Amino acid sequence: MTSRATIAPRGLADRLTALFWRRPNLLLVLLVSPPLIWLGVVYLGSLAALLLQSFYAIDPMSGLIIPEFTLKTYGDLLRISNLYIIQRTLLMAVAVTVASAVMAFPVAYFAARYAKGRWKAAFYLGVMLPLWSSYLVKVYAWKLILAKEGIITWAATATHTKGLVDAALALPGVGGNSLSTSFLGTFIVFTYVWLPYMILPMQAALERVPQSMIEASADLGATSGQTFRAVTLPLAMPGIIAGSIFTFSLTLGDYIIPQIIGTSASFIGMAVYQLQGTAGNVPLAAAFAVVPIVIMLAYLTAAKRAGAFDAL
Amino acid sequence: MTDAVEFRAVSRHYGSTRAVDAVDLTIAEGAFFAMLGPSGSGKTTCLRLISGFEKPSGGAIRIFGEDVSSTPPHLRQVNTVFQDYALFPHMTVLDNVAYGLMVKGMGRNARYAKAEAMLDLVHLDGFATRKPAQLSGGQRQRVALARALVNEPRVLLLDEPLGALDLKLREAMQDELKSLQRRLGITFIFVTHDQSEALSMADSLAVFNAGKIAQIGTPSQIYSHPKTRFVADFVGSSNILPPTLTQTLGGPARWSSLRPEALRVAENGPLTGPVTALRYLGATTRVTIMAQGQEVAAMLPAGAALPQQGHPLTLTFDPAALHVMDEA
Repeated sequence: MTSRATIAPRGLADRLTALFWRRPNLLLVLLVSPPLIWLGVVYLGSLAALLLQSFYAIDPMSGLIIPEFTLKTYGDLLRISNLYIIQRTLLMAVAVTVASAVMAFPVAYFAARYAKGRWKAAFYLGVMLPLWSSYLVKVYAWKLILAKEGIITWAATATHTKGLVDAALALPGVGGNSLSTSFLGTFIVFTYVWLPYMILPMQAALERVPQSMIEASADLGATSGQTFRAVTLPLAMPGIIAGSIFTFSLTLGDYIIPQIIGTSASFIGMAVYQLQGTAGNVPLAAAFAVVPIVIMLAYLTAAKRAGAFDAL
Repeated sequence: MTDAVEFRAVSRHYGSTRAVDAVDLTIAEGAFFAMLGPSGSGKTTCLRLISGFEKPSGGAIRIFGEDVSSTPPHLRQVNTVFQDYALFPHMTVLDNVAYGLMVKGMGRNARYAKAEAMLDLVHLDGFATRKPAQLSGGQRQRVALARALVNEPRVLLLDEPLGALDLKLREAMQDELKSLQRRLGITFIFVTHDQSEALSMADSLAVFNAGKIAQIGTPSQIYSHPKTRFVADFVGSSNILPPTLTQTLGGPARWSSLRPEALRVAENGPLTGPVTALRYLGATTRVTIMAQGQEVAAMLPAGAALPQQGHPLTLTFDPAALHVMDEA
């Protein structure tokens, strides 16, 4: 009996596999082109069209868009009332990001360093579960929680800590009549809703810090605080930045939470929503939409300069 | 003179697993001490007990006479070269080496000067501004060494220091570690599973087996007078002969060990049998024969006339080479 060193192709699967083996780039092209078309044409294309609009202006009399390049719309954007909107949104995004980072770190640290088996599963479930329920349901639930007659007021009264809530609401600028109608409430809900997006990348980054590096730091005489500042934090920084990109940009663009919870003051997302809808000023809405993009680019550049990605 | 490290009935149990079980050990100041054993024998746990990353379940550990049971790692005058080196990837080589001085509050100029001197010592001058990722394995190990030594520890611990290096580099590093230790006079304690590494570098060593120390002694004591079958087998893969065979060869009715290199081919001898295996090793050839129901291996020097597989062969040895062991 003669035995051959090769087998004849038995069907389409064998032939296709052979084709991909001979032309490795073909497989790559086939795999990559659908998402690339989706991302490049549908997503980036529409984004570019939107940005293009920001260089048009509307005719003040007729309200029609004049398709001529002008910086007039950007001039409108820099009006003082609009700058307040940008400043308010930016401060909120910074506060939400910082609060998320501070709250997420212990959770992520526990999950990455100590949780094993069942505890790890419980961690993932606990972090992801809120993401499975509708965003609107969560926001309306918070409206009830934070309302003047809500559970927080009730619990504070019952535990004789109502004074603390009142003191927080009396804070100038962020306070208000009740938690659900103050910036404090907006801040609480933003932080709650975006927290998982901070925890998950942070946990992934902390998981990649080897135990031996923490031990080496202690071995060399560092206290736990020094180890945290000099080793753990810098090594987890790419994850913190990744998480902050989520919390920061999601806060910059959101228009539902500040509409339902908080004062009637406008945020960038709300402004975009109103300008392209009721106000019919698409160019100014587009110009507003450019602001978060510019802020994010500036933020990432600063983070890179500061060495946040050195540990990558 | 106080001993550098002293274990008194030290145990480390994880549930029902006894990683280290009632170990007594003293390591003299200035020694180059090896902890040798297979994986899971407790040697690394012992090292971590000295550095403070493990806490004993029982017993007492003293470092230079001081009880350290309630001293955390960062307050011990002990530094470790980790198996994976554990260099900080976001710092330059210089900042890595100066780290221990930095956390102790030494000024920038002073600590950099000291760190640079230490880099000179390990022949890494000129690498100060690089990141660990830009170094080879051998260079990384030198950085880890410099980073530990710059703190002037009283005891330096090395966890499988040569494990990740290739053969050539390993040999060069053995000599270098040895001369570094002699020059600095610091007590070096290293963990290894490689018996040749332990024998060639250490001036005394402990052989670990199943959480206990099987034998402590100088390399030549351990090699030529193994106390137990385990030590005889683990250190230099000896022929381990049962009591009956020991008796036939002129010894008492006890287990004995016979080093393969003590055997030579002869016309007449006590061990005769067919050749069952031949392994060519370059400088030597390892020949195994089946004699009196027992496999016996012999190391024959290069150039000797080699027998054929299956053919009978007779081996003899100097009676003094038959080492009778204390225990089974």
